[in-house]
Amino acid sequence: MILANLYNKVIGFFRQTETQETESAKETACNRLRVVLMQDRTNLTPELMERMRKEMVELLSKYVEMDKDALELNLEQDGDQVALMLSIPVIRAKDEEEIKAALEEEETKEEIKDEDESLEDEKDIDEDIEEDIEEMPEENSDPIEENEEEDEKESSKEQLKDKKDRE
Amino acid sequence: MSGRVIVITSGKGGVGKTTTNANIGTALARAGKKVVMIDTDLGLRNLDLLLGLENRIVYTIVDVVEERCKLKQALVKDKKNPNLCLLAAAQTRDKTAVTEEQLKDICEKLKKDFDFILVDCPAGIEQGFQNAVAGASEAIVVTTPEMSAVRDADRIIGLLEAKEEIKSYKLLLNRVRPNLIKSNDMMSVDDVVEILSAELIGIIPEDTGIITSTNKGEPIVNDEKSLAGKAYNNVARRIIGEDVPFLNLEEPQGVMAKIKKFFSGLTGKEK
Repeated sequence: MILANLYNKVIGFFRQTETQETESAKETACNRLRVVLMQDRTNLTPELMERMRKEMVELLSKYVEMDKDALELNLEQDGDQVALMLSIPVIRAKDEEEIKAALEEEETKEEIKDEDESLEDEKDIDEDIEEDIEEMPEENSDPIEENEEEDEKESSKEQLKDKKDRE
Repeated sequence: MSGRVIVITSGKGGVGKTTTNANIGTALARAGKKVVMIDTDLGLRNLDLLLGLENRIVYTIVDVVEERCKLKQALVKDKKNPNLCLLAAAQTRDKTAVTEEQLKDICEKLKKDFDFILVDCPAGIEQGFQNAVAGASEAIVVTTPEMSAVRDADRIIGLLEAKEEIKSYKLLLNRVRPNLIKSNDMMSVDDVVEILSAELIGIIPEDTGIITSTNKGEPIVNDEKSLAGKAYNNVARRIIGEDVPFLNLEEPQGVMAKIKKFFSGLTGKEK
């Protein structure tokens, strides 16, 4: 299973670079524009996106072992809505022991910080990811695509509105 | 009469706002509508040049605002079309010479006598833009299939959406080059429309005739043979409310190809 995944990932990587090479000037322009317009529309600077990405890695690596460098966090246009797309190449799911250890470590940290409300949400994400791993077919070379929670969509929409209001 | 006030804007400079203004205005006047164009690009006026009216300007919008003349005195009639008037910008003043309120007031007064008031907006998103938009209830956003122009158009659309007075805005895609789109070197009309998610009102092909028409001070819509002129005429008809299909821009390419083929055939025979 792990080997198959790895094989698919490698093949997928080469396929990706191939298509990138043959990308036309028009496609490059469209893709670059989409990214830059998302940033223009949401006020999320590249620095903030990078910070968000890092925090995601930190959070999710408690539950799964993943390819941290390949994790992609992008804003995408979905019709009139702006969606936050998170793509996580999972190397393997951590076993119960490891998750427990990570969580305990987290708990001790959180006791210091005096905030523990986010724990429930994290468990939800954990379940989602594990489900995805089980459902992932062998031939699927794509990394798991996870559509981020609705509230994150909402918040980016709100930011959009805020921006327009201010203007 | 209660005329429609349409602002023609783009954000980026050099995409063809003024050319669009001159041509849509002329086309509307040719269709029998009473049209007045207001150049709000104070200090950088050009609409008069495109219309060939630069020698007829006595008073400008600043003279009207500062009450050196009546509004009607400042309206310059077009050489050919009595339906068409221009209220020129002052060349010696800057954007602060006219306020939003004053422009709104001028538009309100002109609405009584004209079917269409076309406001030529300066480039940028500063006070000049705010002034130009102040009196308008509709907008045409001019852009080209280039990244910087599309990005600026997106910004302008954001600003227009925040304005309550602007009831609708439409996209005009200028300087489209069908052969570059065909070879996937340029964003297509569909790409731009999808990225900006705005309604399209016109597709104007790149046309070298625009340069000669500008040089002559004669809008290209007066040239029946020009494809860009035809496209601008169609935009005017759509503004009036007619349902006009978009031009098939690949056709002239076909004609050119045929001519080339024809000539190459001739030379072939000579040999």
